[in-house]
Amino acid sequence: MSNALYLAWRYLAYHKVKTAILITSITLIVFLPVGLRVLVRQSEEQLTVRAEATPLLVGAKGSPLELVLNSLYFQGDVPETMRYAQAIRVDTSRLALVIPLYVRFEAQGHPIVGTTLEYFDFRGIRIASGGGLTMLGDCVLGARVAEALGMGPGDRVITSPESVFDLAGVYPLRMHVRGVLEFSDSPDDRAIFVDLKTAWVIEGLVHGHVDLSSPEARAQVLQRDSTNVVGNASVVQYQEITAENLDEFHFHGDQEEYPITAVIAVPPDQRARTILRGRYSSPDDLVQIVEPTSVIDELLDTVLTVQTFVIAAVVVVGISTLATAILVFMLSLRLRRREIETMRKIGGSRSSIGWVMVSEIVVVIVVGVVLAGGLTVLTSRFGSAVIRAVIF
Amino acid sequence: MYRPLTLMISASLIACGGGDARLSGDGSEAGIPTVYTVNYPLQYFAERIGGDLVQVELPAPTDVDPAFWTPDAEALAGLQAADLILLNGATYAKWLAVVSVPESRTVNTSAGFEDRYIHLEETVTHSHGLGGEHSHEGTAFTTWLDPTLAVEHARAIADAFATRWPEHQNAFVAEFESLAADLLALDRQIAEIVARNPDKVLLGSHPVYQYLAARYDLDFHAVQWEPNEAPSAEQWQAFVALRADHPAQWMLWEDEPLAETAARLRELGVEPIVFDQCGNVPRVGDYLSVMRQNVENLRRVYR
Repeated sequence: MSNALYLAWRYLAYHKVKTAILITSITLIVFLPVGLRVLVRQSEEQLTVRAEATPLLVGAKGSPLELVLNSLYFQGDVPETMRYAQAIRVDTSRLALVIPLYVRFEAQGHPIVGTTLEYFDFRGIRIASGGGLTMLGDCVLGARVAEALGMGPGDRVITSPESVFDLAGVYPLRMHVRGVLEFSDSPDDRAIFVDLKTAWVIEGLVHGHVDLSSPEARAQVLQRDSTNVVGNASVVQYQEITAENLDEFHFHGDQEEYPITAVIAVPPDQRARTILRGRYSSPDDLVQIVEPTSVIDELLDTVLTVQTFVIAAVVVVGISTLATAILVFMLSLRLRRREIETMRKIGGSRSSIGWVMVSEIVVVIVVGVVLAGGLTVLTSRFGSAVIRAVIF
Repeated sequence: MYRPLTLMISASLIACGGGDARLSGDGSEAGIPTVYTVNYPLQYFAERIGGDLVQVELPAPTDVDPAFWTPDAEALAGLQAADLILLNGATYAKWLAVVSVPESRTVNTSAGFEDRYIHLEETVTHSHGLGGEHSHEGTAFTTWLDPTLAVEHARAIADAFATRWPEHQNAFVAEFESLAADLLALDRQIAEIVARNPDKVLLGSHPVYQYLAARYDLDFHAVQWEPNEAPSAEQWQAFVALRADHPAQWMLWEDEPLAETAARLRELGVEPIVFDQCGNVPRVGDYLSVMRQNVENLRRVYR
């Protein structure tokens, strides 16, 4: 037996290229469906963990998936906005803790998340260095953002225009980096957090400029009467909020009319959750309430359907690859007729020669399966990091 | 106006499970909950209602008007860590618009009577760029000078306390009733005093008495003088012109005016009298004693 194995091993070692091709084929045939399943399962877990940690989302009527992806993963298209009054509506119901979100703007390629201090407690995120949000114009960076931008407390980060063609749009805001968040292995690592009011400053709804009614602003006044002052084109809005100009920043209009993209609602118990959901059941309501887990489950159902097709295709490819491998072995036997004849002439029995041939096949299959197993272990260990890098 | 029953019912409902998801902050975990207020009247009301069950803090220094104070980093850290932040509303403490405070732990104690806010008339609109015409209009914010509104502030505080700490609701309700009785007694006294001569014209050194004037239908007109600053020649000129239209013999001040200002007023036939708005901690006594002294001072005007 050991002799047959030795001869088989020597044969395979001598024909390196052929052996490598066969082992690679067997490895891929085994690994592809198994590895794919592992990756899909880990993707499911990554998406589900975040969704399960977010009880309810309130947003403008539209695509629930868009709402969830924007609010939980800060990705995808910006959903329809709704009035801040909707956050007040949930708050006054006393059925849930309310965390408004305004995820629309970016700074240097990273999403800006406008929210309230409650968000950090809710997600359990802590400050790694510096401090938290204190004043208008402050921001805190997710761990990966700080790493990517090479920034820390005391630095400044400038908001990006929504469109390169937005020449008449709002001025970019130079935000003060107050702190950097601890690495949380979540989408929060890749976001820049600001107070909701600062997000409105970025949009231009809250802004600061010289007091037009003051004598110093004479050169910037186009027209003035007893009740109205019209500024000319030289009125420049402040692009950075400092201690000196902080008092000049003001809200325009009713704050309840200001936009937000979502509200995270955290009910204290199932009863409050049910009652709150019931309050958004009217088809006439302009907003929807969704359970992120349901939305993500639907998404995963779709993914699973696609996965089934992919695995079926992989199995078909695997069968044809296996058939090719069998053909390779059979052709190889034919090519090795003289070698087999020689083995017989030097005293090898039929069964011994047969064992040598079988051993070659078994070694190739075993090595292929072991390699596939190794790849699967690597996938399960490092796949989640790769998925996070791709998804988040 | 005086509805302890409403408070009892709402507290009971809350105790049955309708409360906030986040009921306590860092303070309550350590023991006594910490409550921050934005002015002294709210601090006084909170202390009366909460008693020893809460630790009430007014972060503004005692030598400034809390309405125009802006918190420093230390004060802001305290505010952010508080279990509850009691706001006056009516645009009081404009710094709230430019700082980050935990929204779920703030309570606007005048939210229940927003329809009774007095909007300031002297508003200049402006426009620039694409933003259209807009104004930075203000609202009179010394709401507590109307004792019935002070009761509403107190009711909102008691409600907020009962929501967060329902196990003490009976104590909160009892203390609220006691405070409301004191405030309504002030209301009755002022109403009786003013009723003796309802047409009497009054002047004010500062536009802070709008709610007092509205409550008792006073014929009241204010200038914008500071007790610790001597009025300029232009201000005296404007005062004389104002008095020509409103021949008042009494002028309410937030604090004792400078001696020379008082003397000049007396020369013009106007007696200065202190009606302390009590926005910050008084040098002597407490909110109620200051308001009682205000009532006594008013009694001199209307005798």
